[in-house]
Amino acid sequence: MVNENLVKDVVKEPYKYGFVTDIETEKIEKGLNEDIIRLISQKKEEPKFLLDFRLKAFKKWQKMKEPDWSGLGYKKIDYQDIIYYSAPKQKEKISSLDEVDPKLLETFDKLGIPLTEQKKLTNVAVDAVFDSVSIATTFREELAEHGVIFCSISEAVKNHADLIEKYLGTVVPASDNYFAALNSAVFSDGSFVYIPKGVSCPMDLSSYFRINSGDSGQFERTLIIAEESSSVSYLEGCTAPMFDTNTLHAAVVELVALDDASIKYSTVQNWYAGDEEGIGGIFNFVTKRGKCLGKRSKISWSQVETGSAITWKYPSCLLLGEESVGEFYSVALTNNLQQADTGTKMIHIGPKTKSTIVSKGISAGNSKNSYRGLVKMGTKAKGSRNYSQCDSMLIGDQASANTFPYIKSQQPNSEIEHEASTCRISEDQLFYLQSRGIEFEEAVSMMVSGFCRDVFNQLPMEFAAEADKLLALKLEGSVG
Amino acid sequence: MEIIEKIKTNKSDDNLTEIQKICLHKLQSNPLPNPKSELWRLSNKSKLSNSLDYSVNEKYSKFDIPYPKNSQSTIRLIIGENCQINLIEKNYSIEQLSEDELQKYIKEQISFFKQNENWSHLLNLSLSCKNNILGLKINGSKIPPIEIFSQASSNSLTAKTLVIFLEKNCDAELLQVNLGKENSSLSQSTFFCLKENSSVNHGVVSYGENRSNLLNSLNVIQQKNSAYNLGSLHFKFNYARFEISIKQSAGNAKTNIKGMQITKNDEQISTYTKIEFNGPNGFLDQINKSLADDKSHAIFEGSIIVPKIAQRTDASQLSRNLLLSNLAQIDTKPQLEIIADDVKCKHGATISQLNEEELFYMRTRGITLTEASKLQLSSYFQEIIAFIPISKDKWDLLDKLLNEN
Repeated sequence: MVNENLVKDVVKEPYKYGFVTDIETEKIEKGLNEDIIRLISQKKEEPKFLLDFRLKAFKKWQKMKEPDWSGLGYKKIDYQDIIYYSAPKQKEKISSLDEVDPKLLETFDKLGIPLTEQKKLTNVAVDAVFDSVSIATTFREELAEHGVIFCSISEAVKNHADLIEKYLGTVVPASDNYFAALNSAVFSDGSFVYIPKGVSCPMDLSSYFRINSGDSGQFERTLIIAEESSSVSYLEGCTAPMFDTNTLHAAVVELVALDDASIKYSTVQNWYAGDEEGIGGIFNFVTKRGKCLGKRSKISWSQVETGSAITWKYPSCLLLGEESVGEFYSVALTNNLQQADTGTKMIHIGPKTKSTIVSKGISAGNSKNSYRGLVKMGTKAKGSRNYSQCDSMLIGDQASANTFPYIKSQQPNSEIEHEASTCRISEDQLFYLQSRGIEFEEAVSMMVSGFCRDVFNQLPMEFAAEADKLLALKLEGSVG
Repeated sequence: MEIIEKIKTNKSDDNLTEIQKICLHKLQSNPLPNPKSELWRLSNKSKLSNSLDYSVNEKYSKFDIPYPKNSQSTIRLIIGENCQINLIEKNYSIEQLSEDELQKYIKEQISFFKQNENWSHLLNLSLSCKNNILGLKINGSKIPPIEIFSQASSNSLTAKTLVIFLEKNCDAELLQVNLGKENSSLSQSTFFCLKENSSVNHGVVSYGENRSNLLNSLNVIQQKNSAYNLGSLHFKFNYARFEISIKQSAGNAKTNIKGMQITKNDEQISTYTKIEFNGPNGFLDQINKSLADDKSHAIFEGSIIVPKIAQRTDASQLSRNLLLSNLAQIDTKPQLEIIADDVKCKHGATISQLNEEELFYMRTRGITLTEASKLQLSSYFQEIIAFIPISKDKWDLLDKLLNEN
């Protein structure tokens, strides 16, 4: 019989990104109303179309109700008690990274994010977002040589307003859901990527989101456009300090892939999850959606979700173009009182479209881990295929694992396959590993890692290592 | 509110049984199910309201049974026919439940009912008059197969209720046939209580006619070491719902379910199952098949609930669907809710059409396309039909499905 306590101990690991950077910040007053939205827009010197977009979204948000269908239990959020704009004070315009506040650079260094350009070996361009603003983007010149635009969304609004106006809100309309409407009204910063026709992005692009302030929410918005025959791999990471209050994070990510383009979007989410009693932690309500507009386009989501007190996230693909492909690979690990409700939506609209879903959920402690997905074959999705696999692993008898796949088909000439299973750490396998001299802790870690292998294999090199390390860390700890 | 008024105008308050009063009271605040709730979200609202439009009929009218009684050994009962049964043989006994037993059991079940989740049961029990409730206590073994028929009368809404107690160590085979009449609605509620070590092969065949509707709900409580096998088939209904709720009250029980629904024209047939394991070592093997053709809509939603107490549960659920037309629709949602950690649970779902390669192979062997499709369909149907007790030797369901429907 496996000692339950041993396994529980193994999944305990203190949160190591919980420090706060002591930096002077500029904050606006708490609350949400039209004036606040105008103020945010004014601070960011935005054109009129964007202010109109925000105000329209705000009006819609006011009429909407906070969704409760996911059954996530959390304290009611007071939307008037949140600061909607917070930015580290720095010089007006930064011409090079040397001018960035060293404290900020230090923060990102501590997080293991290389912002200084001498660390070119990593070959990853990073856009670092601190609270509400992007503070630096690396490798811009190199990327510009290839015509790739990689900058913060605020900069893109100024320099590439035409692209923003054309694509913003086309994948996730402001009225899509409660949190998307809120984000559309108050989004502060985020990343913008544009890959021109025929360009394969020479390096991985990455955004790193850091919440530093305890009372402000983070509402970033990411927009990635891949023109014909282009390709890009984008990575996203997130951490936050430990506060005993809950912080709201409501992001929107929109991807557009045109003919033959491919976008790979990977996330390692490690927001602060709250303590063992469930105090504090980030409420992570995110809307991520990709539109495969072009023929043979491909969007692939991979995510490792280990943080946040509450996760509510369904990265989706709208497969419009003929023969377009959508993929979703996910590992969600919940511990203590964390709640994760995550999954995907694959909407097959065009003919011969294909989608693959692989989701692995691990629940430990008193946590709740749900997979919720939708696969829909529209009437025109002739010859389309979907394959879904959702596996759950339970550690301890207090954790819960739920699977809610919705499958809808209106096209006879399409195929949908779904399978799900639930298991625990097998005693036989543990016994075998231990009998071979592998320590209990390492054996559990190996088995969890093996359970997630299908997903880790889909992550880019840099992230696969990080994800493995992250899970190992979460599973490391005092044994016995 | 209309439906409640309808029941009340039909009878004075004094004529209502206590159960009817309790159920009416439960329905009073929300007479219709919430269309936004998960169980009713996909249900066709206008079809539901049309099916409730008929006047309530409590009278029994004679009807033709679709196949003759060709074996003396079968026990045949018709709900509403005012049948009295009291069979006490050497090996077995089939007795009518006393009024008290019936009331007590139904009341106990009602106390767990929720307005949305058990709306069909509540409606049935508020409509069912004494004559239309049949309660049986079955005991012993080597019991001859039992057939129980329910039928709606034309142009009316009829409610029939069946309560069955399977006593300890009892082993029975029971086929329930629900017949729809043209322009009619049948509300059928069945309650099964399986005592320790009992087992039953339960068949449900619901066969409609044009524009007939069916609200069929089944509630099963399984005690320790009981085995419940259900084979069900629903077809030819304009609108039909089959709601199954099975509770293994102390675990250590076995449940096997094989169900199928076939929709054509603009029909809508849905199956909802909820299986709860309230004890350890439970077992479930479930397969649900749907076939949707023309403009029809088939729905399956199945949930498996494994709380902390239900360690070592072994549950599997499979939803297989055939979509045969561009205008038809299939929705399926198998779901698992698990808290116990030492469990084996899995589910699967597929939606596809007839296998083209197999069709091609048969055609190269000189079989026509129609024949080849029929062959494929018959193998698809056969798995379920073979599981329905009694029917297989006397009622050629397969032939009915392939040729008539």
